[in-house]
This record gives sequence, C-alpha cells and structure tokens, in this order.
Amino acid sequence: MTRSSPFSVRGRRALMVMRDEREIAIVRRQLNRLGMTISEHDPSQPPPEEIVDVAVIDADAIPIKSDLACAWRSGAPIIALIGTETPSRLKWLLDLQPASFLIKPLRSAGLYTALVVAFDSAQRRIDEAAYVERLEDRIRSRRVVFAAVLQIMRGHGLAEADAFTLIRQTAMRHRTTIEQLSADIIAVGGMPNRTTRTA
Amino acid sequence: MMAGEMRKSALMAVDEINESDEFDFVFAPHLRDPGGVVAGYHAACADLIREEQVDHIVGCYTSASRKQVIPIVERTDRLLWHPARYEGFESSDNVIYVGAAPNQHVVPLVRHMLDHISGDVFCIGSNYIWTWEMNRVIREIVTSAGGRILAERLLELGETAVDHIVKEVIDRRPPAVLNTLVGESSYAFMRALHAAAMRAGLSIPMLSCSLCEPELKLIGSAASVGCVTSSAYFESIEGAENSAFVARWKARHGGDSDPCVDGLSTYVCVMLLARAIRRAGSAEVGAVRRAAANHRYDSPQGPIWVDPDNNHCFLTPRLARSVPGCRFKIFWEADAPERPDPYLSNLDLTAIGTGAQKSNDVMTKRLNHLRVVK
Repeated sequence: MTRSSPFSVRGRRALMVMRDEREIAIVRRQLNRLGMTISEHDPSQPPPEEIVDVAVIDADAIPIKSDLACAWRSGAPIIALIGTETPSRLKWLLDLQPASFLIKPLRSAGLYTALVVAFDSAQRRIDEAAYVERLEDRIRSRRVVFAAVLQIMRGHGLAEADAFTLIRQTAMRHRTTIEQLSADIIAVGGMPNRTTRTA
Repeated sequence: MMAGEMRKSALMAVDEINESDEFDFVFAPHLRDPGGVVAGYHAACADLIREEQVDHIVGCYTSASRKQVIPIVERTDRLLWHPARYEGFESSDNVIYVGAAPNQHVVPLVRHMLDHISGDVFCIGSNYIWTWEMNRVIREIVTSAGGRILAERLLELGETAVDHIVKEVIDRRPPAVLNTLVGESSYAFMRALHAAAMRAGLSIPMLSCSLCEPELKLIGSAASVGCVTSSAYFESIEGAENSAFVARWKARHGGDSDPCVDGLSTYVCVMLLARAIRRAGSAEVGAVRRAAANHRYDSPQGPIWVDPDNNHCFLTPRLARSVPGCRFKIFWEADAPERPDPYLSNLDLTAIGTGAQKSNDVMTKRLNHLRVVK
C-alpha cells in the first residue's frame, strides 16, 4: 500500500460544505494555492455520492436537530468550521467526529495545518482499524489454536507448552501463521506432512 | 547588520521617489526600530498604525518578527511589505512578500548540488525555523533523488563556538556542506572551516541560500571564497537597471559600500508600493493591493511583479559562486521570472535529480566514495 504524506496536499480533492460567500472565497483561494481540486455542496442536502479526500464543513450551517451529522461521519475526514461554541453545538460536533477544525472568522493561515492534521488523523484511523481487525482475527482463531494444541498433545503425547512450541516452530518453518497451521491440523487430524516450503 | 542595510535601502528609495517627477506624491517615512526584540514588533506596528495613521509598513527580517506583525495588519487591514526571503507556508492577504519563496531559493540550490556536486550532503544551520524548514525541504529532495543527509547539526542563534562541528566536517570529509547558519555563527563557521580545510589540504564545497556581499567582507576575503549561493539578487547582475542602481548606491553610501539582496529587496518593496499607489490613484490598502497585482517593475534584480494568487512575487532565481574580492560570480539564472510557490505545492520531486542523466551523475560521484572491500 502506498501511503501519501499528510504534508503533500496537491491533487487531493476537497468538498466545501459551506454557506457564507466570504468564507467560501477564503477557503477556495487557499485550496487553489495548495493545488487541490474543489467541489461545493449545499449544507442543507445529505452528503453527496462523490468521493473526496476531505470535507470542509461549516458546522453552523447544519441544524443541530437533524440526522445529517451522522450521515457525514462515515465519509472523508472532516474539517469543521466553528463559530458557535455553545455546548449544544459542540456536542453535535463531537458526534460528527471532525479530524480537525478551524475557528471563524477564517483567514488564510490555518487551513494548511487543518488539512495536514485531517489527512494524518484519517491515515491513523485507517491504520488503527486495520490493526484492530488483525487482533480480532487472532481472537476469533484462538478457539482453533486451542483445539490444535489439544490435538497435538494427544497425538504426540506432549505437554501443552511443548505442543504449542511445536506448532509455533512448524508454522515458522512453513512460513505460515500459527492460526493457519492450526486450521490445517484440525482439518487433517494431525500435523500436516508438508515437506515443501513456501517462500 | 541586516536591519541597517534594509533601512538605508528603504530611505534611498523614498528619496528617489520624492525627488522624481514620475510620482505626484511624496512618502513621509516613519521609522521604528524594535532592534530584533521579537516582542517589540507588535507594539511598534500598533504605534505606527494607531498614532501615525500609517497604511503601509515596509520591514521585518525574521519570520518571528513577521508573525508578530501579521495579526495587527490583518485586524486593521494594513499592508506589510516584507523584503526578506523566508521559508514559505504563509499567504496573508495583508502581506506582500517581496523576498524569494522556497521554490525560488532553496530548490534551485539543491537541484544544482544534486546535478553537479553530490547526492550526499552535510547540513549545518542555526537552531530556528529557517533551518528546520530548509532541512526538511533539502532532506525531501535529496532522499527522493537517492542521496543522503550525512548529518544535521544545529547551533543556537549567535553561537560562535563551532570547533566541534568543524572537526566533524574535516574528519568525515563530506562531498558537500549546506550552510543555513545565520549571522555571526555563519561567519565563525566559514572562517574556522576554511582554516581547518587549508591545514588538512581539503577542499569541501559549501552551499548557502542566504550569503550576501556585505557578509563576505565580514567573513574575510580568503574564507568567504567558493561558496555556491542562491539569491534573487547579486551586486554583479549585468544590465542597465542594476549598473545604475549600484552607481547610485555607491554615490550615496560610499565606494566601499555594497548593496545586498535584503537591502535591494527593501528598495524594491518601496518602489513596488509607489508604483501601485500611482496606478491606484490612492494609498488605500485594497486599491493598492489590486494595483500591485501583475504590475511589472523592471528592478535592479530584473523584472518583478506581484502574483495576486498568493501575494508573493515573480522573480528570477540565480546561483553564484563567491570569488576573491568579496564578490559573487553568477553562473546560472532562470530563463524568466519564476512563479512563487510558497507552499511548494508544485514541487515535482520526480523531476529533480532522478532523471536518467542526473541520477547517473549522482551515482557516478557516489562511486568515487565507495571502496571494494574483500
């Protein structure tokens, strides 16, 4: 997987979900300077189908009592533009899970930082989700590993620790995971007779 | 030293404008000198704006001082005309950036190094934002071209105890040293390295993107020779505009005095401002900003104009080598004024140092440093 640096923003796609013309002009100008491509979207409408790399959303332009906040959450990282700092608005903002934010009134300074933080945190979220998925896979296969250890203990007359060591070493020799080898052990009813090593 | 050069240059431009028939107004300069004390810049500008009713401010050398001034010029909608080259990543609507942006100073320097000197480099600089960001850019370009950063050494601002770094350079004999030290630290380092290299019989190429003519004199005629320097202005630029400027400079400040890039850039700030006011028919900030946009001025450093996309200037990058007599000999300049790219968003790393021809150059030189060990 190629990972793009959060600092390189040229060519990335930004969606502006904003209402105020002056603020739109400031953000558009700065995004142009950074070489990003820009599209606009009406804040009163549900999120578009279009795939973008970041969404700049004027938090004040979306009613708090609407279902739209959670609809935005699953897409691209969000930079929230914040004018109102009341707890009711901030609670809504937390539900939106913005990757970064800017306080209004906007100026040219700050947007690049918000973009870099947003891209970085989006990448971290992807990495963390992948890590969690790997851990969950391992938890799911624990039952299989345990069953394989029992099989080897019985078949080879080994203690639990020795049976596990044998499985681990065999997995290393076969260049496979403990979980995969365990599944094979259960499938064939004992240590599979693999002589060829897969590189 | 730099503040004095910049003030002299600004006042020279003011006098020329006030004496010229081409302008139907005169400038009344108000001078403030915070003396490099960062906290003083905000107060000085607040005073200029509130007490003197000033619309346009020319100045600030360091980024730290500019960052102090930006909030107040933005809040009161004034214009800061900023003469110094800087590290980029800024585009205030209330600043006209007349000094070089990073694509106009450090990028051509590193490109030259990769193509003609070495892919590997030893970096030494002052411990502040200029060096930090320069080193980041240098590392990105050099490593993407297959070169290596051999070391990154930092000295505190003003530090002149340089012997440990000079010793390391002499011991390691890097194929190139990139110097982003400023002021006395740089002068001390160049003198000490020159002396040590002479003793060791070594010649180690040095590169800089801030060295200027008055500094060559401060360093000394022998130690200042041979530094490859990137700048938008050298006193030795050929052409009628610059010859006339240098003559006026020497007539005003003495035959021994030499203009430098930051002084010239301050002069250009005042000239760009005067031309924009003349074109706008008013000194009002919005009108002046619009009038300055794309309005070409044939300055001593060549044609220059403000890019309204980011308020930085189109200007011509140049590379020169410092030669005996405390002068620079220019050996390369861009074919035309280069568009400013303060966020380096158009920096194409694949086009630098990695083309077949170029990378062969780097790799051929790399081979000279390799030994076959059996």
